[in-house]
Amino acid sequence: MKIEFNILSAFFALVIFTSCEKEYTPAKPEGGPKYVVEGYIEAGDNPFPPYIILTKTFDFYGTLNPDQFTGSFVHDADVRVKDGNLEVVFQEICFSDLTPEIRKEVAAQFGFDSDSLAIDYCVYLDVLGQLHPQQDKSYDLTIVTEGHTITATTYIPDQVPLDSLHFEAPPGKPNDTLAQLRCRISDPAGVRNFYRYFGSTNGGPLKTAFSSVTEDLFFDGKSFEFQLFNPVTTDRGVEPNEFGLYIVGDTATIKWCTMDEAHFDFWNTLEFSNSNQGPFSSYTRLQSNIHGGLGIWGGYNVSYYTRKVAY
Amino acid sequence: MTSKAFSNLLMRHTLLRYLLTCVCFSIIILAHGQTNHTLSGYIKDKESGETLIGANIHLEEDLANGTVTNTYGFYSITLPRGVHRFVFSYLGYQSFTKEISLDTNTTLNVDLISGIEMQEVVVSAKENQQDENVQSTSMGRVNLPTEQIKVLPALLGEIDILKTIQLLPGVSSAGEGSAGFYVRGGGADQNLVLLDEAVVYNSGHFLGFFSVFNADAIKNTTLIKGGIPASYGGRLSSVLDIQMKEGNNQHFAAEGGIGLISSRLTLEGPIIKEKASFLVSARRTYGFDLAQPLISKTDFAGTNYFFYDLNTKINYQFSQKDRIYLSGYFGRDVLTLAQRERDLQFKLPYGNATATLRWNHLFNDKLFFNLATIYNDYQFRAGFDQDEFHFDVFSGVRDIGVKFDFDYFPSTQHQIKTGFQGTYHRLTPNIVTGSAGETDFVSSAKPKFGNEFALYVQDDWKLNDWLRINLGLRGTLFQQTGPYTSKISGKVYSSGEVVKTYNSLEPRIFINTTLGPNSSLKGGVTATTQYLHLVSNSSSTLPADVWVPSSEIVKPQRGWQYAAGYFQNFQNNGYEASVEAYYKSLHDQIDYRESFVDNSVDQVEDEFVFGKGKAYGLEFFVRKNKGDLNGWIGYTLSRTERTFPDIENGRVFPATYDRTHDLTFVSNYNINPRLTAGLVFIYATGRTFTPLERLYVISGNLQTDYGPRNSQRLEPYHRMDISLTWTPKGSAAKRFKSSWVFSVYNLYNRKNTFFTYTDYNTDLQMGEATIKAYKVSIFPILPSVTWNFKWQ
Repeated sequence: MKIEFNILSAFFALVIFTSCEKEYTPAKPEGGPKYVVEGYIEAGDNPFPPYIILTKTFDFYGTLNPDQFTGSFVHDADVRVKDGNLEVVFQEICFSDLTPEIRKEVAAQFGFDSDSLAIDYCVYLDVLGQLHPQQDKSYDLTIVTEGHTITATTYIPDQVPLDSLHFEAPPGKPNDTLAQLRCRISDPAGVRNFYRYFGSTNGGPLKTAFSSVTEDLFFDGKSFEFQLFNPVTTDRGVEPNEFGLYIVGDTATIKWCTMDEAHFDFWNTLEFSNSNQGPFSSYTRLQSNIHGGLGIWGGYNVSYYTRKVAY
Repeated sequence: MTSKAFSNLLMRHTLLRYLLTCVCFSIIILAHGQTNHTLSGYIKDKESGETLIGANIHLEEDLANGTVTNTYGFYSITLPRGVHRFVFSYLGYQSFTKEISLDTNTTLNVDLISGIEMQEVVVSAKENQQDENVQSTSMGRVNLPTEQIKVLPALLGEIDILKTIQLLPGVSSAGEGSAGFYVRGGGADQNLVLLDEAVVYNSGHFLGFFSVFNADAIKNTTLIKGGIPASYGGRLSSVLDIQMKEGNNQHFAAEGGIGLISSRLTLEGPIIKEKASFLVSARRTYGFDLAQPLISKTDFAGTNYFFYDLNTKINYQFSQKDRIYLSGYFGRDVLTLAQRERDLQFKLPYGNATATLRWNHLFNDKLFFNLATIYNDYQFRAGFDQDEFHFDVFSGVRDIGVKFDFDYFPSTQHQIKTGFQGTYHRLTPNIVTGSAGETDFVSSAKPKFGNEFALYVQDDWKLNDWLRINLGLRGTLFQQTGPYTSKISGKVYSSGEVVKTYNSLEPRIFINTTLGPNSSLKGGVTATTQYLHLVSNSSSTLPADVWVPSSEIVKPQRGWQYAAGYFQNFQNNGYEASVEAYYKSLHDQIDYRESFVDNSVDQVEDEFVFGKGKAYGLEFFVRKNKGDLNGWIGYTLSRTERTFPDIENGRVFPATYDRTHDLTFVSNYNINPRLTAGLVFIYATGRTFTPLERLYVISGNLQTDYGPRNSQRLEPYHRMDISLTWTPKGSAAKRFKSSWVFSVYNLYNRKNTFFTYTDYNTDLQMGEATIKAYKVSIFPILPSVTWNFKWQ
């Protein structure tokens, strides 16, 4: 329904809205800022080390500057992750604490240029590498800061790898410079599976497309083929005819993840909320698994695929 | 199984047994007890032969001694033997007075003459008309003849019945330009919209900006927002009862118009003069058709949008006592989006179809019978095709029903109505089918089925000159039936097997105390139950919204409304005024949970949360019926609240359509016989909305944290529309008449907010973000012109 609703709204917006826009400033919140957690823990192929970013919300301002962003990070929190037996205390590391070489390497992972990065990012890490995330295991997060306790739990499900990936000519008019990425998956029957994918080209940072999550509601237990959009060409400002397609000759990397339902719900509500702004839309509150704050503590089971864009 | 369930219900409910006894008793006494004499017949329009609904019949010497025609134009009045002078009158028609010696039962069909020309229709010769709004027990009931609606200003010149009723106190609009409406704090799905007795499940075209009712095919519109009589049921808040024209049985006639976005044509005439007639009425938009030469040269060739309506009706009068009607409606919105470059096509057709076959029979001068078989079907479909990917969503409602009603007029003290209604529902949720290459997929959602039965009896009882009571009782029963697999027990139910049964007894009591010849005090209690529900996740209802039945998961919605009002007419009924107060409690209300994502989920019921609501308000209404200047002023002071334990821990919040103040001013002025001016002004408290309060970064992008639901309001809504209807000189005497309607919507170009949105630009590399919140208004000042014609 999301698809037809969006198309429908866009069409009618185009047709009738000789609209007039007027900027306004929403009222200030009464309750003050809230804590925001963004943390991930991965198992599978070449997993990224677990990390947690702890920030506070901003009031609604017309603009935000580097000082406000840097000031939003919450420091000196007691951050712990427990896998049932082992409890690991995460240490806070800020970007400014790193050597220039490591800074450059870390910044590149997230698509930043370390030399001109204006924000001093801080994350909580398992610096000693004590945790070894595994599939079919739950991980409890506990944060205590400024007398406030935040908790969350995530589960890393079994990996469901892609069976195959291939590029083919995009539908419609013949075009030998663009390619559509198709993948096939054999979905395990009888259990609900939740998936998310990231994509990058030519070794760039991994990004997500406008709709990066799905569940097996329509293809439970089936071998199913579908398109994976190129997050780079779904960005704003890209030529519409290239939307979601890859450029022939590039190298594409896909990070394919399985996750638990609560993790899926967070991204599903987030993506629906972001795409559901318009004449008839109502608000969607993001479904978070964080108790005592906003955000997500999410487990992934990942697999990577790199292919040359050709058909 | 069905009859067994009904028997069990009877065993359990003493009150229902009493109701059935009343019904049986009513039927038994129908043929007895005739001591006085009865005058009965039909009241019709002389020119077209159309029956007139709600026409007055009363004694000239005793205004309070009278009756009105029913939905089929029939009247019956029983009086002591003797000579009486009867006055027959109807809004917009010349009254007719006749002296009749009632020595025996007498049949008198009366043809009233429309007293005005095409552009003067609102003027009413009401001097002799009984002040029905003061004398009757009905509350919150407004009759709107179509001719009255046609002279009001309209958005883009499209005459719209639903937008006109929004101008009445207690009725608010679903949004700027929307034909959707809310009545006394009830939801959009809580209005029973009937077209020739068939339920219309989606009454809007073009996302609700235009209603599906083509005014040329409509005879009469009645809105009941308060005291809903026992003969109606199935919705909590209101009844909008719309009757199509029957077709001119005197001579052939044509009517139509050419407007900016659509054209209309209606043909009607006798098949057998004064015995049988037909009506065919069609409307279609063509804005995108005109643009096709341009669109076809672009990458979007094949893209188009239009909507159309087709109304048809035939009737045949077998004898003075028997008449049969067959009416139908078919309407569709059709959107096609195509993009050749990407081999993409999106099709979205949706619309209603209804059919009603009715038989009216007069058992005797006092007993009128109506039997109707009703079919309606609302379908919504969306299909997406690209290369080897096909995706189709279908939802809909299909009803097959039968109902019968007896109208019994034993004396001027009693007017008894009783009847039965049974409907078989099939409700299809969003069923997704598709294919991706060689793989087919289909969602596991399945249609749901239900039987709905209702039995009612009501008596409009005039106890004496100053006290009148309308007592009604409606017993309803709903069964969810198979095929169905229980989500709770896992039990598999076969076709027709009963899954869950609900029942309800709904008392309806209305009292009228006459304070003087032109004033009265009224009070009433209305209990209602609703078994079908439309839950929307949008700020307004949309064609894609899905109707769901009561089930083992979803309880029926129940409501009680208490109302009291003072009614006063002035200057020989030239002015009518009323003040009504109401309090409404709503139970088992339904909404989506706050984090609902419309992903065509397996069972939409799993996404529901349940709660309660209340609404209360005060309505003021003054209408001027006579003279060159006429119209009304309505004002409502109200509050509408909802509470759901699963939404913000049960915090009480105002509904989206809560309006503290709602003021409407509607006026027509007949400048001369060829020129009529119309003016509408609306002022309403701004709509509530859920504000964004905080921002935070997730995955490098700003996200929104919303504040409490509906805790802020948009700025007040106000707008003025004007119209000028001009009938060219000389055309009045000819069979062919035409007129031009010039309208200006939103005369002073008020920028009323239609929706809000936020736009984020985040550059985390530079540590900068720009956040802007916008209010968007649509429909600036919009002039339009429509040419209407009539050939008769």
